[in-house]
Amino acid sequence: MRSALRRDREPKVDQFVIETLRYGTPLVYVTMAGVLASRSGIWHLGLEGLMIVGCCASVIGVVETQSIVVGLGLAIVLCVLGSVLLWFVIEKLRANPIIAGLGLTGLGLGGTDLAVQSIYGSQASVNAPFGLPRLGPAFGPYGVLSVLVVLMPIIVFALWLLLRRTRFGLRLAASGEHPFAARSVGAKPPRLRLIALCLGGVLCALGGTELALGSLQIFAYGMTAGRGFMGFSAVIFGAAHPIGSAAAALFFAVVGALGIRAQLIFGDQVPHDLLLTLPYIATVAGVWLSGRLRGGARAAATFGELRDY
Amino acid sequence: MNGESALACRDVTVHYGDVAALVGVSVAFRPGMIHAVVGQNGAGKTTFARVAAGLVKPVAGTLSIGGCEVPTGNVNLARAAGVELVHQSFALPPSFTVAEAMEFGATGGGAIYSRRRLEARWGRHLASLGVKVRLRDRIRDLAVELQQGVEIARALVTEAKVLILDEPTAVLSPAGIDTLFARLRGLKAAGVTIVLILHKIREVLAIADTVTVLRGGRLVEGPIATADTNASQLAHSIVGSEEEKKLTGADEAALVGASEAVASAAAPSARAASAILELRDVNTRPDPEGPTLGDVSLTVGRGEIVGIAGVEGNGQRTLVRTLSDLTELQSGRIVIAGIDVTHTPLRDRRAAGLRVIPFERNSEGLSLSSALWENWSARKLLFDRLLAPISPSRLRKECAEALDAWDVRYATTTQPAGSLSGGNAQKLILSREVDPAANLIIAAQPTRGLDVGATAFVWRSLREARARGCGILFISSDLDELFDISDRLVVMLSGRIVGEFRPPYRLGDVGAAMTGALA
Amino acid sequence: MKTRLIAVLRALAFVLLALVLCGVIFEFAGRAASTAGNPYSAILMFQSIAEGAILNRGAWQDSLRWALPLFITASGVAISFRCGYFNVGAQGQFYVGAIAATFVVDGMRGAPAALVIPLTFVAGILGGAVWALWPGVLRVKSGTDEVITTLMGNFIAGLLLVYVTAGILKDPSGTGQVMASRPVAAAYRISTSSGLSPTIIVIAVIVGVAMWLLVNRTAFGVLSSLAGRNPIMVVWQGARLSRLGLAGFVLSGGLAGLAGTVEVLGPNGRLVSGFLPTHGFTAILIALVASLSIAGTAIVSLFFGGLAAAGLYLPVLVGLPAAAIDIINAAIALFITARTWPGLERLFKHRAAAAGGG
Repeated sequence: MRSALRRDREPKVDQFVIETLRYGTPLVYVTMAGVLASRSGIWHLGLEGLMIVGCCASVIGVVETQSIVVGLGLAIVLCVLGSVLLWFVIEKLRANPIIAGLGLTGLGLGGTDLAVQSIYGSQASVNAPFGLPRLGPAFGPYGVLSVLVVLMPIIVFALWLLLRRTRFGLRLAASGEHPFAARSVGAKPPRLRLIALCLGGVLCALGGTELALGSLQIFAYGMTAGRGFMGFSAVIFGAAHPIGSAAAALFFAVVGALGIRAQLIFGDQVPHDLLLTLPYIATVAGVWLSGRLRGGARAAATFGELRDY
Repeated sequence: MNGESALACRDVTVHYGDVAALVGVSVAFRPGMIHAVVGQNGAGKTTFARVAAGLVKPVAGTLSIGGCEVPTGNVNLARAAGVELVHQSFALPPSFTVAEAMEFGATGGGAIYSRRRLEARWGRHLASLGVKVRLRDRIRDLAVELQQGVEIARALVTEAKVLILDEPTAVLSPAGIDTLFARLRGLKAAGVTIVLILHKIREVLAIADTVTVLRGGRLVEGPIATADTNASQLAHSIVGSEEEKKLTGADEAALVGASEAVASAAAPSARAASAILELRDVNTRPDPEGPTLGDVSLTVGRGEIVGIAGVEGNGQRTLVRTLSDLTELQSGRIVIAGIDVTHTPLRDRRAAGLRVIPFERNSEGLSLSSALWENWSARKLLFDRLLAPISPSRLRKECAEALDAWDVRYATTTQPAGSLSGGNAQKLILSREVDPAANLIIAAQPTRGLDVGATAFVWRSLREARARGCGILFISSDLDELFDISDRLVVMLSGRIVGEFRPPYRLGDVGAAMTGALA
Repeated sequence: MKTRLIAVLRALAFVLLALVLCGVIFEFAGRAASTAGNPYSAILMFQSIAEGAILNRGAWQDSLRWALPLFITASGVAISFRCGYFNVGAQGQFYVGAIAATFVVDGMRGAPAALVIPLTFVAGILGGAVWALWPGVLRVKSGTDEVITTLMGNFIAGLLLVYVTAGILKDPSGTGQVMASRPVAAAYRISTSSGLSPTIIVIAVIVGVAMWLLVNRTAFGVLSSLAGRNPIMVVWQGARLSRLGLAGFVLSGGLAGLAGTVEVLGPNGRLVSGFLPTHGFTAILIALVASLSIAGTAIVSLFFGGLAAAGLYLPVLVGLPAAAIDIINAAIALFITARTWPGLERLFKHRAAAAGGG
């Protein structure tokens, strides 16, 4: 009797973990990109745009060349280009990072739309013939997860090492917190920020690829649905600490997965769209809570710049 | 005497935009000695230090360290040649731990570290310098003097041959200055060449072997042996004959920090009829910005300047914020002009005559990107209802009149406040705050960073306000200034008032109170 | 005056830079479009946009139809930004205002227009104001960053819109495809689908004049501008930052809600799920390009209204992707807050020093 119950319960737990990982892995990648940017002193609101560029480029790459490597490579190249553009606008043109980030997001959303409309002629979504390599049946029910899911915790750990246990990480943090101090030991904050943004670009490409090709194998306009901003909030919630922010991102993913699960359980009793709002509400709650815990608001000043005196 | 100099520069010229910060400065410092570079604010001392450290690239001029020419404007090369700079406003990220602060300036060693290895490596270094601090403490939690110790330790992480310290004594108590000097003498004995940026003659004569004077970006004198000069000669070089004519002897001594004993204050004010400010047993709630006030009782009479002395970070900021209703009171009362304002907001306190010249000119006193007239009108506009109609052209005219009366140099009232020089910006703030209706003026470090002329102007304006019957609370970390201007002096330590003095002030007594030597 | 001229020139320069970037993107996309059999060049794209915005017959009217509601929302955004708060939730506030308005106008069917229309407006304004109030309170009371909360508010409002148009307000006679409310009764409409009517124009003018007076002729205008650039300084002067800030939030939300009401009672004539998805972002852009001045917002609204009109023209009449307009908007956003060009810094410092030395 007991074993029968156990057999009955396990698949649901497995399913839930799988859904959380599927929802959460792209989110964690994007969050790590946000952590890098935040440490270097930039509030990166362009994550959403970079992520969707990653989604679109990887799908188009796979569709056109049947090669996952080309798809991933294209995503990385474009995301890094976008990051360099953002860096140029913020660092060299001294634009406001928040608006520039929103502009980059707009470019990403519009650009992917334009690309799809131009190449495939309609506004419908683009289907990819296959997705990322999966773990395979050797892993049981978890075999459906893609390799990027397994890579995710490795990357989180690597970032923790980089940011918290190397001199590069210290200098990067100084660039964000006290650029003058960084300069006084010979570090160059603009260059460090460029490195941080480019690394972040690669991570956004990975996140976007996972989102589009990890389980779905499709690109649809606006498919990121705010995940880039959720990642940004996870960075705030986790105080720009790699592991804390990853945990925050997974928390948002759990809420998202709960929402999906609730739809399956409750069917039509609970409105589908209202359940979809759960992750966004969780994000607001997370940011509010972190504000209460840490005495809130902004890193960079109004319309303004990183203090460097 | 021949021999290569430890640090030398020739014809260094630095331009910040259109302003010449340094013009044709050539100087050579011999190794193994303590060299002082003095001058008033704006003379170019900090710029000079930064050129030597490679932080600022001059438009002309060469730099040589240890006899070898080093390209200018490159911090890494300067550090490699053995030059390290300890900055005036601390240059360590506040959230770093002490160990991290040591590490991020280090060169060599492995790429990845573990916390334990870090603490071992830097623990030894700090102990060898006599800096008693826990490696896990965060920079922002350290007391000011300890922060400076950590800054110096950070600069000595590499084997520095030339150590430059930019105004290290500005934030220290007299006892702290003694400790610093002892440490510097120890370093000199170990063969380090030390260049000290100072602006008090007393300190120069106490510690330095040679002295070099900068004025207006130019080298006026030096390096000459301190034994070959005296206080009044130095004062003359620092201030310049033009400005000297405008200053009283006491003021000049205060500006250059020449006096040993203390000046007696100007004619004692007539017994104040009533107090304009009374704080009774004020205790504040915990506040992230500073220590809480503990049982603070203080009065300021009409026509009286009360000075607040104390090492920065001992509650002076909390005091000013409490009076400005930015910090919550736990108990106690505040009375301004006979009205209990303990629970009234800042706006009403200002209506009762309270005026504040804040600590940070640029972030608390002005909105740098807003126009002059907007900055100037802020106080008046807040008295009205929010939706009250205004006439910007009339406000601009009134602003222009006020700025002219205060001798502010500007082009138009619509220019941004950030385009004013430090002295003019401070005058703008004064023109806003020191109006005829002012009763009680809180002046928080009002002359910080100002040159001779502007400093004298501020003193003169506040004395005029006093003559009109204002009460003034003057907070400064410059004891010479306080001795010169205060009718009464109060010392703060850890949020409490630990001493009250009347003229004649003795440096020893006040200094002891500042560090808690007095019970 | 010189500073204002410089600001205008700077805005123009960066708009031009944005258009250059767009030109590059259009060339690439246009070449890639050959796979779909419909290649285009950047020149063709820009030309078509100009046609849709101003050159064609009737283009001016179309541009104006879009410009008016955009102006209403943008003036609210400008005020909120002036107060120093990045209320980027105009889209959500626009939606909630439209939803509230639709509830009233739908629920009061049959009542006299003289009663329904004003109440609908009130509901719309309140709806938008409420949707800006909660992020505002969170910011002012708890320091919760308003960029995130208002952005999330956009997504939540979008989902709310889907929910109500698929459920409560759903038009029973419609097909299953488009989720929309019942059309607003003719008696309550304030304009035809052309979007231009005396009512709407008057509303826009009143909003414009009122906001201009508020910003330029009241203490609130100066104080909020100071607060926007340096809140710390204003606090030290004794201002209650929370009141200034909340006022900015509520006002901007209310204006966005007003615009939403105008769209529902006017050219749209009903509440459609996912309608005007870029209205809020465009309004923010207008406020930025206009350097947060009200008069400038009016002028810039015409420009972006023209772009929006072109956006409809492109796919329908010329077969070019409408996303081109989104890209232009985004590129402008990217560059518009830039303050300098590398190398020009020395020139600017020179000017500043000359103006104020002493």
